[in-house]
Amino acid sequence: MSLFRIFINQDDDDDDMATSKKVITREEWEKKLNAVKLRKQDMNTLVMNFLVTEGYVDAAAKFQTESATKPEIDLATITDRMAVKKAVQNGHVEDAIEKVNDLNPEILDTNPELFFHLQQQRLIELIRQGKTEEALEFAQEELAPRGEENQAFLQELEKTVALLVFEDASNSPVKDLLDISHRLKTASEVNAAILTSQSHEKDPKLPSLLKMLIWAQNQLDEKAVYPHINDLSTGQLQDPPE
Amino acid sequence: MPTSSSSSSSFSSAASSSGNRQADVFSRLASSDPEVKLKALREVKNQIIGNRTKKLSFLKLGAVPAIASALSDSECNSILVQSAAALGSFACGFEAGVQAVLDAGVFPLLLRLLTSSDEKVVDAGARSLRMIFQSNQAPKYDFLQEKNMKFLFSLLNSENENVSGLGASIIAHACGTTVQQQVLCDAGVLEKLVILLDGSLSQREACLESLATVLKNNPEAVSRFVGLEAGRYLSSVTELTKDRYPRTRLLSCLCLVVIYNTSPSYFLNMGTKSSLVTTLLELLNDHGQSGDDAALGLSSLIAEKEDLQKLAYEANAIKNIVDILKTGSELHPKRLQGLFLSLAELCSKLEDCRCSFLSLEMLDLLVNALRHKNADVRTAACICFRNAARSVKNLSAGRFTNDHVMLPLVQLLHDPSSSVEVAVLGALSNIVLDFSSPKSTFIEYGGIKQLIELSKSMDPNARCSALRALRNLMFLADNKRKELFYSEVKAQGFVSLISDPEPTVQEQALALLRNLVDGCINSIEFVFDEDGLILDTVGKQLRKSPQAHMAIQGMYVLTNVASGTELHKEAVMQQLFPQPQAESNNFMLKFLQSHESQLRSATVWTIINLISPSSPGAHDRHVKLRDEGIIPQLKNMVNDACLDVKIRIRTVLSQSMSFGDN
Repeated sequence: MSLFRIFINQDDDDDDMATSKKVITREEWEKKLNAVKLRKQDMNTLVMNFLVTEGYVDAAAKFQTESATKPEIDLATITDRMAVKKAVQNGHVEDAIEKVNDLNPEILDTNPELFFHLQQQRLIELIRQGKTEEALEFAQEELAPRGEENQAFLQELEKTVALLVFEDASNSPVKDLLDISHRLKTASEVNAAILTSQSHEKDPKLPSLLKMLIWAQNQLDEKAVYPHINDLSTGQLQDPPE
Repeated sequence: MPTSSSSSSSFSSAASSSGNRQADVFSRLASSDPEVKLKALREVKNQIIGNRTKKLSFLKLGAVPAIASALSDSECNSILVQSAAALGSFACGFEAGVQAVLDAGVFPLLLRLLTSSDEKVVDAGARSLRMIFQSNQAPKYDFLQEKNMKFLFSLLNSENENVSGLGASIIAHACGTTVQQQVLCDAGVLEKLVILLDGSLSQREACLESLATVLKNNPEAVSRFVGLEAGRYLSSVTELTKDRYPRTRLLSCLCLVVIYNTSPSYFLNMGTKSSLVTTLLELLNDHGQSGDDAALGLSSLIAEKEDLQKLAYEANAIKNIVDILKTGSELHPKRLQGLFLSLAELCSKLEDCRCSFLSLEMLDLLVNALRHKNADVRTAACICFRNAARSVKNLSAGRFTNDHVMLPLVQLLHDPSSSVEVAVLGALSNIVLDFSSPKSTFIEYGGIKQLIELSKSMDPNARCSALRALRNLMFLADNKRKELFYSEVKAQGFVSLISDPEPTVQEQALALLRNLVDGCINSIEFVFDEDGLILDTVGKQLRKSPQAHMAIQGMYVLTNVASGTELHKEAVMQQLFPQPQAESNNFMLKFLQSHESQLRSATVWTIINLISPSSPGAHDRHVKLRDEGIIPQLKNMVNDACLDVKIRIRTVLSQSMSFGDN
């Protein structure tokens, strides 16, 4: 839904785009914005959606109390989900797997890619801890069969096992696997799978709205000069250049 | 998983220590101490989830009966939950596991869990039952029994999404016949299922699957569904084809395909048809099961429908499918089957598709598929060949008749699967119609012998297809080829073929004979071999009031024989009017009065050849035909509805007039 209409001059000279754009002053702009009606309810829902999807249980519970906004899913399930995510982020993958299976045994049974990535992370943690023999045994027993079942898994497995080959793994071509960001990636994958199984959308709405804002401003830039929001965190209007 | 205490680093010790660990856990399952038992159950469950290898090894140890006892003997909710979850995991996508679980008598135990007061127990039971019902081995659910129907509806009405999902799953996997569909619809199942469309993801998916099963090939059920709230739910399903989750998109597409194939009138809008095709094409790229199912769904959608095939072609279907096939990774047999069938359907009527497909260097891939270990894939590849070979341009360019293609096809004539046999015969039938090359690789590979072998198969479809291929092989064939063929069959062989119990096989045998005696005059001699045994058999069959399609071919045999010498023509007359004969047995009159224009036409052609003025006995034959009422009958048919027949009759009548009309 557009907030305003712009009428471009039909007989403008194509060479000079700057002068053909409509100029909107700050005053005019603020007036138009104020004319747009929003419901408090909608904003509360948006906030709750963000808190719930990101897993901020306590904040969500408090917000529910204070604003009487109903969370879209049971907060208890968020606690479980956050426990899983945290376990992976801290490198306790076996614990995370057990928790996921307690939550919903179907998730890992029907998501071979996710299951493989969790097992792979387990292997990485064993290597990180220097437990070389255990790592090899684990790779042989748990991961090799997965590799046989699927070509793509085999390649990733080989990459991971390569960590054992290098004296100093943290400077090898496969060092990214040891990085904390890999844990976060796996954690995020598990989080998404749990949300999906609970039929919850895995991404909060707020970022999409902000992206929409930036895109709309880019589109509008071709036709008008007007106050921008350049800093999303403050939402401050910046005067158009003179 | 307990840490290994062994210090040896050889792999064999790793294997045996894991085996020891498994045995250890297994023994703890039987413990009388509930705490130990619970821990062991959890351990087994956590080891097997996602891990097919572990499922197999625990299965071999006998874990399933052990866990089943835990389930039946315990009152403790935690033990019930863990054992149900473990059993569910054994049954998840693992046929041997489903078998073991059912054999251990777990089914009624799980049903009991559904009435528990503990929500977690109910969830565990419902989930595991759903896993069992995904398999073909699931017990047949008798919808016709009142109490079963009641139970089913109690599941569908449940607030618990796992339980209502179970109800939908049971329908999706157990409803097969029209009677079952009817009984379910009459009990109001459609109204219950559509509520699930607005529910959670798993409820929506279960609903879509079960809808497809209930509506399949049942126009009444479809119209009932569409009638619900004035088409609201049909729109919902259509909307879901744009859902964010691929599996939802797939299941809703498959549902729409079922509705389209059953009652196409609900899809007059081109836009819906087009988006259905493009959505399925997109889903082909999904790596998981959705992609596999999408391929089969697409082939089912475009089957026999030229307009949809065109839509798919314009949406670049051929290139997309070929790209997927060329990725080189190991594709699931179901996906391969679906992709090849889709290509086959695309090539079935549209020459553009065939040329496009053949220009993409696909033949190697297709030839490899002929050697795939899965029979369905081999069959689909053969059908693909058959349809692609309909392209005369490519056929005469020799694309199909080189050794590289011909040899594997001929080898499939020995295939253990009957569906492959029939399919390869179909492909060969088309390929042998290549007239551009004087010598035939097929014949060089001993194809004729193999086809004759197959014409004696137990399977009537195989017999029919083999004869069709031979018929095409004999079409416009030279004498050498005909001699080669005949020497393998001989008169007696032909008699058996023409006297086959199946009418369709008889028809093909006669058509083959027709082609055999066509062409130069010497070819006619085949029917006179062994005292005219074959000709006699043809006459006998024609006198038996055969079906129109058979009669047509029989009459064309007579037509071809009657195009020969004086002796040949007289022999035909013998068959038409055998000496001591009842008047009412004049089958020629019957044929001339047939509804089938081709039969009328074939009969008239025989007459034309019999009385063609250039031969000496024509006059006498004309008299005979007139006396038997044939010529007068033709006079009545001067204004026959079929133009071809009309023209031929004019020819006969003008020949007749040249004899002087008396």
